[in-house]
Amino acid sequence: MNHTLDFIESNNFLKLLNNLTKAYQVFFPAETKKNYFWQSYTGNFAFNNYRAVTSIRQFLTSAVEPIGDYFKTKTENSKPFCIVGAKACDLSNALKVQDYVFLEGDVDENYKKMRQQNLIISSDCTAIKETCFCLAFGIKPYPEELFDLNISPAENGYAVRIGSDRGEKIVAENKDLFKDITWQMREEHERKRSDIVKKLTLQVSQLNFPQKELLYDLMKNGYGDGVWPSEALRCVECGACIMNCPTCHCFLLFDTKDENGYFKGRIWDGCQYKNFTRVAGGASALRFREYRLRNRYIKKFEFFPSRINTYACTGCGRCVEDCPAKIDLRKIFATLDKNQKH
Amino acid sequence: MSLYLPNKVTLIKIIEETPTIKTFVFKPHVSFSFKTGQFVELTYPGAGEAPFTPSSSPNKKDEFEVTIMRVGRVTELFHNAKEGEVLGVRGPYGNGYPLDDFKGKELLIVGGGVGLAPLRSLIYALYARINDFKKIVICYGARSPQDIIYKYQLDEFKDQTKVEFRLTVDRAEPTWKGNVGIVTTTLDKLPIDTKSATGIVCGPPIMMKFVSLKLLELGFAPDKVYLSMEKNMSCGLGKCGHCRLGKYYICKDGPVFKLQDIKDMWDIWD
Repeated sequence: MNHTLDFIESNNFLKLLNNLTKAYQVFFPAETKKNYFWQSYTGNFAFNNYRAVTSIRQFLTSAVEPIGDYFKTKTENSKPFCIVGAKACDLSNALKVQDYVFLEGDVDENYKKMRQQNLIISSDCTAIKETCFCLAFGIKPYPEELFDLNISPAENGYAVRIGSDRGEKIVAENKDLFKDITWQMREEHERKRSDIVKKLTLQVSQLNFPQKELLYDLMKNGYGDGVWPSEALRCVECGACIMNCPTCHCFLLFDTKDENGYFKGRIWDGCQYKNFTRVAGGASALRFREYRLRNRYIKKFEFFPSRINTYACTGCGRCVEDCPAKIDLRKIFATLDKNQKH
Repeated sequence: MSLYLPNKVTLIKIIEETPTIKTFVFKPHVSFSFKTGQFVELTYPGAGEAPFTPSSSPNKKDEFEVTIMRVGRVTELFHNAKEGEVLGVRGPYGNGYPLDDFKGKELLIVGGGVGLAPLRSLIYALYARINDFKKIVICYGARSPQDIIYKYQLDEFKDQTKVEFRLTVDRAEPTWKGNVGIVTTTLDKLPIDTKSATGIVCGPPIMMKFVSLKLLELGFAPDKVYLSMEKNMSCGLGKCGHCRLGKYYICKDGPVFKLQDIKDMWDIWD
């Protein structure tokens, strides 16, 4: 894909978003008290410096989603999403994992439709949160893949990178809104990127987080480690780590009745909840919190690497930031690493 | 249509097996077939669904049977259903038993409780090509004589020259003439060469654990022992995440596993 840079002025970017509302439901992360929350675009836009509180998973499979009325054939059509302000930690690893789950083998049509039709306008991080550690997974704080368009703040506007045919088409359809980029802008753009990488490198270097190549073996050899019971003791099973994680995908199908007859829906579920593995007789493979905590890590650092050679973690730090019990993935791996060295 | 939506089946017959177990005979509205050992998701419309392994012959094309023990919310709904009701089915899912690998072998089939249900499907499939196998030993353990399922068919299962059928109950009234003892007590003095035989086990987790240990002790090779595992499942398609254990989805990579592949995993018997 050609990665040439274009430039779009801020007011033209608003025009672009306005144009996109014709075909898309446009969402962007809006700031409230230094955090960003996905909000529907209604004419005002401000750039988000870092990731939103929740991942973009909600634009792929809704938290509660109709599967449909059964014993009937009926499909509903709604506008796809245009996701503005997704960060690298929403895309790299995350979409690879979600695509494997929902598209490999039996295809989940709802998901496929979202992936095919959604437009992703991602953006560079221009600041970092205390919990950010994407670099530990080799993910840069600016998207390098899996976007249609990527924007990077520049003077009075944004440097725009095209990442897909669809992105190219959008630029072509709106070509009056774009300008060629100047070499000063290009230099400024590169400088900003290298500055944020430096800042993040420093932050990650202070974590004692093991090399990513070691995580699989640390996990595999760490089932009996004392870190699981000691950390899990504090877990209150709120599920924040699951619901906000860009790679979590587990769900529960449910059946109910509605005015049209019988209805099946799907709701996000997760392995930190007590009854996740409970069977009717009462047995439950993950009956203790320590088993459940460990299970989440097995899935992300052993199962997915063995299936698709990808860690199901993007270093977004959401599970760390959102945990009321301060269970910290970065510290758990530092502990496993320490305990396995001695 | 979404892959999570069921097709219609009519419940045409209910057979009372025990006070807590019934066999349901379903007539699918759209063509349906399965390999023995595969499972289905049965839907009670508007109320819920759960995974079950059909207990009928895979060669029977116009209807299938599922034997269900009443243990929870969804199974209770099925137990209260009436003949003639229209319910739903999705599937079949999972791998099923590798019948071709059993060819020319001596087979030991061990069932516990309602775990005989999937094995009955297997037995039908094996009997349909009985000349492919050297010898079949079937060992079935139930909690008590009242808990024995398929009572009306057991004689028919025994009535095969190549088959030996052993039955035991955990406990019984003095009037019971048969064996008393858990199913592992039937596994001594097997009329087969355990070193080369194939074992197939289905039952409650604790039973499968101890039968597996016993089979290893008897000399069975771990890659010739097949277990039909069950876990909480929602989608049946390897997507919802519920039944994953270690590196396997029980629904998609199983539900039939070689003991070899799972024996060293944590939590597998829970």
